[in-house]
Amino acid sequence: MKRTILFFQLVLVAIFGFAADKGKIEVPLRFDRYYTYEEVTEALNALHKAYPELTRLEVLGKSEEGRDIYALTINNPKTGAELSKPGVYVDGNIHGNEVQAGEVCLYYANMLLTKYGENDKITKAVDKNAHYIIPVVNVDGRYHFFADGHTPSSSRSIRVPVDDDKDGLFDEDAPDDLDGDGSITQMRIKDPFGQYKADPEDKRVLVRIKPGEQGEYTLLGSEGIDNDGDGRLNEDAEGYLDPNRNWGYDWRPPYVQNGAGNFPLSGVGLKAISDYISARPNIIIGFAFHNSGGMWLRVPSEKSIVIDPTDIAAYDVIGKEAIKITPGYVYMPSYDLYATYGDFDSHLYYLHGAFSFVGELFQREQETYRENITKPATTGETTGSPMRGANPELSREQLKFNDNVVQGEQYKEWKSYKHPVYGEIELGGWVKMSSRLPHPFMLPELVHRNASVVFLAAENTPEISMEVFDKKEIGKNLYQVRVRLQNKKGLPSMTANAVKTKIHQPDMLKVSGGKVIAGGKLTDNRLNKVDFKDKKPEIQFLAVPSYGVVEYQFLIEGKGEVTINYESLKAKNTSASVKL
Amino acid sequence: MYKKLCCTLWVILSAFFVGQLNAQNTLSFDKYHNNSEVQQILKQLQQSNPSRTQLHTLATSPGGEPVTVLEIGKNSGNGPAIFVGANFEGNVPLATEGALRLAKMLLDSAQYTAKQKWYILPLPNPDAAKGYFSGAKYERSVNDFALNNDMDEATNEDGFEDLNGDGLITQMRVKDLTGTYLVSKNDPRIMVRAEAKKNERGEYKIYTEGTDNDSDGEYNEDGEGGINIGISFPHLFPKTKNEAGLWPGQSPETYGIMKFIYDRPNIAMIHTLGSSNFCLYPPKGGRKGDANLESIKVPARIAAQFGVDPNQTFTMNEIIELMKSRVPAGVEVTPALVTSYLGLGAAVNPLDDDLKFYTKFSDDYKKYLKSKNFSIETPDAAADKDGSFELWAYYHLGVPSFSMNLFSVPKIKEEKKGDKSISSEEVENTKKPAKPENGEGLSDREKSLMAYSDKTLSGKGFVNWQKFKHPTLGEVEIGGFVPYLETTPEAEKIDSLLQVQLPWLLQLSKKLPEIGLADQKITDLGAGVYRIELYIENKGYLPYPISIGERNKQPAPVVLIIDGDVEILEGLKRTPVGPIGGNQVKKLEWLVRTDKKPTISVKLESAVFGSAVKQIKIGG
Repeated sequence: MKRTILFFQLVLVAIFGFAADKGKIEVPLRFDRYYTYEEVTEALNALHKAYPELTRLEVLGKSEEGRDIYALTINNPKTGAELSKPGVYVDGNIHGNEVQAGEVCLYYANMLLTKYGENDKITKAVDKNAHYIIPVVNVDGRYHFFADGHTPSSSRSIRVPVDDDKDGLFDEDAPDDLDGDGSITQMRIKDPFGQYKADPEDKRVLVRIKPGEQGEYTLLGSEGIDNDGDGRLNEDAEGYLDPNRNWGYDWRPPYVQNGAGNFPLSGVGLKAISDYISARPNIIIGFAFHNSGGMWLRVPSEKSIVIDPTDIAAYDVIGKEAIKITPGYVYMPSYDLYATYGDFDSHLYYLHGAFSFVGELFQREQETYRENITKPATTGETTGSPMRGANPELSREQLKFNDNVVQGEQYKEWKSYKHPVYGEIELGGWVKMSSRLPHPFMLPELVHRNASVVFLAAENTPEISMEVFDKKEIGKNLYQVRVRLQNKKGLPSMTANAVKTKIHQPDMLKVSGGKVIAGGKLTDNRLNKVDFKDKKPEIQFLAVPSYGVVEYQFLIEGKGEVTINYESLKAKNTSASVKL
Repeated sequence: MYKKLCCTLWVILSAFFVGQLNAQNTLSFDKYHNNSEVQQILKQLQQSNPSRTQLHTLATSPGGEPVTVLEIGKNSGNGPAIFVGANFEGNVPLATEGALRLAKMLLDSAQYTAKQKWYILPLPNPDAAKGYFSGAKYERSVNDFALNNDMDEATNEDGFEDLNGDGLITQMRVKDLTGTYLVSKNDPRIMVRAEAKKNERGEYKIYTEGTDNDSDGEYNEDGEGGINIGISFPHLFPKTKNEAGLWPGQSPETYGIMKFIYDRPNIAMIHTLGSSNFCLYPPKGGRKGDANLESIKVPARIAAQFGVDPNQTFTMNEIIELMKSRVPAGVEVTPALVTSYLGLGAAVNPLDDDLKFYTKFSDDYKKYLKSKNFSIETPDAAADKDGSFELWAYYHLGVPSFSMNLFSVPKIKEEKKGDKSISSEEVENTKKPAKPENGEGLSDREKSLMAYSDKTLSGKGFVNWQKFKHPTLGEVEIGGFVPYLETTPEAEKIDSLLQVQLPWLLQLSKKLPEIGLADQKITDLGAGVYRIELYIENKGYLPYPISIGERNKQPAPVVLIIDGDVEILEGLKRTPVGPIGGNQVKKLEWLVRTDKKPTISVKLESAVFGSAVKQIKIGG
């Protein structure tokens, strides 16, 4: 049964909806369309082929089902080796259904590459940073989202079978695409004792009856049958292993947090990405794109954790601009949404010392159907069906949008269906390419605005310059040398948290060419206040703050040229020299 | 290249010898084995028992050493399995010997592998284990993972040095105005902390033996490695300790072990040989942070959704009822879902019902040891550590987790306490941390160690303080307890220690639940309707799952499947049996209808206990 459905579905996908007639994949890439997993791969190859000098395309690992996970690196080798530059990491689609996140990543790559040499700001960012782009983290999820019947919210898990209903069978009772249209919609049955009736203004909308009123329908949930005969429908779908709860920082087992997976990074694709990130200690900023809701989320993901205020200030440099680049989004700590453990952005921030953002793409409120759009649309359900009857006004507007703006492509009209258990029922509702995904006509603006936030972050990666601003002979062959390090950008050279928790090597100043008798941080150059370092004054450990300046003083014995090297894992190294 | 060649030769040679020798008979326990010897022994054990054993390589350590499991009883069918891991911290070589000795016991007799499989992991932390065999012996617990402990400009640049060339890393004491130590008045070999309140002033500083290689003023703060596998598991992962790694399983050994175990849901009991002793002392409770599931407060945000008062408390069952009406159809509200949704957190203390069997077995074990004239008059075994394997096994896998430390130095006798067999309450009470030493008294631990060194080892457990001219500290004295003194007896003691204690682990394996179909009853209700009653029994002592397993839902379910030419009126084709106590029988019922008199099959299926099928005649 399932197989026949699958067959139908494949045929239908080929002739139906957005999947059809999208043209050749060539650079510049188009963004008025969605790419299947295979097409993303093709698009990445096209970008790499068009810009072989500036890009490297690699398979960093394989997924549970053996699909390749690709990373595209954009780096101009003429301006330095990859690891010497501040790394900008961006990924998407860790939840398999959140596909436009992949398009944002592709767009970011496409924008950097196609405008390199034409747009000065973009040219500078390409030359300054190493950009690491993983458009699709959950490659199996994306593949299945397009290939199989799904709701806008399913195919989210990675493909690790989990016995959700604890009956000894794994993933045996997923929803079924009964009518083979590529979407899992809803089932309703005529029922005079039901709790719902059709909205008189738009019969497609179901509203809850008032007490004493005659009901019309009972809702039966998502399209499907009781595959395992346990008296329940659709209770053990793929996974569930949430790839954004399976990371190492503060991971909690599945009985504490559902979908955590059995142990940190038990997902093989995630493990491969973790290894990829571990090998790139230059990453200073990371974005992970999701849908939906329109949010920029930062750490912490749990309320009780306190983040150093200077790190929050650095986050704000991006976050407070981001909400203007993407109007309607909110910027907030992720615990405001709900607490999570073992999420990716915490892993990146706490264990790799990189500022990390989650971008929750798309607000369904933008699907408007009214004259005046200055007022924000009524917030209501942004996902799922409009059939819960919570906000019929909003549902009606969404349906009008579907009817007259996207020509009925997002909603499946109710049709009768003969169900093996329920008998005569109706299937209908929002299709999978709806609700959490903008219609392709809205996609170009979405990808551009969100990629612009990543770009702003790249522009704000640290740029450290160093100068010797004072030199004085204070004894025989003994000089007092003062250097100043300045960061012209909004992100510090290290997170305050990394400085505090010592998770990676700090920035260093190393003096060579003379004997350093004493040295330390100059806390006030006018009052000559110096925190002299007790041992080994020729090496100083430091971090350069957001838009900040730090000064050091060395007492150096010697003659000739003395060099001071600034070395950083995340910022670009630099040096200055002085003649004694 | 040379290394590879040697390795190949070694393999060829050993293969040649193995043909003629019976490894089990030649395997002796009169020395401690390093990892290449351990690997060799495992290979020999495997090759001399090819039908019963199989080797699995779980990981390669950062130092390039294999981490290997020997499976014993690969032909034992689909019954439950017992996993034995030893020496996770790498600094208890006796534990590794224990695992090998246990493997030999299992191979010498078919008794314990008739229905059960065993997985033996003798050395999960082979890099650290090198410490015992190194020319300058020090208690090493970290692997070769490149960790910059002091986060300076170099990695592994400041390890120990055996300055006096005695092959041991001990301590250095040096007179220092700012020192905080004094020579003990009771035993001049022992250094104690000065207490200003008692009108004492420190005279010495104490360092570990070595030089300040990187001239940063710290001694031996960044030696070889690494990550300590013994504290790198996810339960209570000690994230502030850098030897735990950045996250649980960052190092391949830990990751490989977790994967191996989760790939084998038949593992139903776990033993750890190392430094704690759950066989003697039930796992300790008293940690803060456990959710009280009978007195739950609903967080304000969710309370608003539920329409309840966030200050009111509810029992778990009340919350389940509250949630049932608010979840989508088909979602079963379980305590696990509730703890997750409300964010109630993890269990951090052993559950009461589980402590019952731990206590019972501990009392039995004491009797057993007494019958073998084995003294437990020793300082208490080390506490279980946060991030340890044994805690993870209990809290995350939800299976009975036992541990043994195999050796402790004898406790020095102060006053007679009467009867030597201590009840478990008394043991719990004595498990207070050792008193801090001061100028007047010595800790029990130090007294016992010193007595052990003096009496049993003729003084070899302590290096007497000897003057040494240190390059930066000047005049120092080098001395102190020898490394491994507390955990590692003389090699000739190995076999007798293991022979007494290890059989207890074999005894425990007999306590595993044994689940089967005990009986059935068919009642003809007329009109072709029948009631089927099936009785499921657990013949073992332990429940399935144990209490923590019920909470964390990790142990695989036992499911009853009815198949045949009947229409089920009440009940399900597949019915999870649910928890079943030790020595308990559980009745499940179905109502079926049939016009014929069919024979139906009833199948008990589980990833742990395999499957059993019974044919039942209806209406016969």
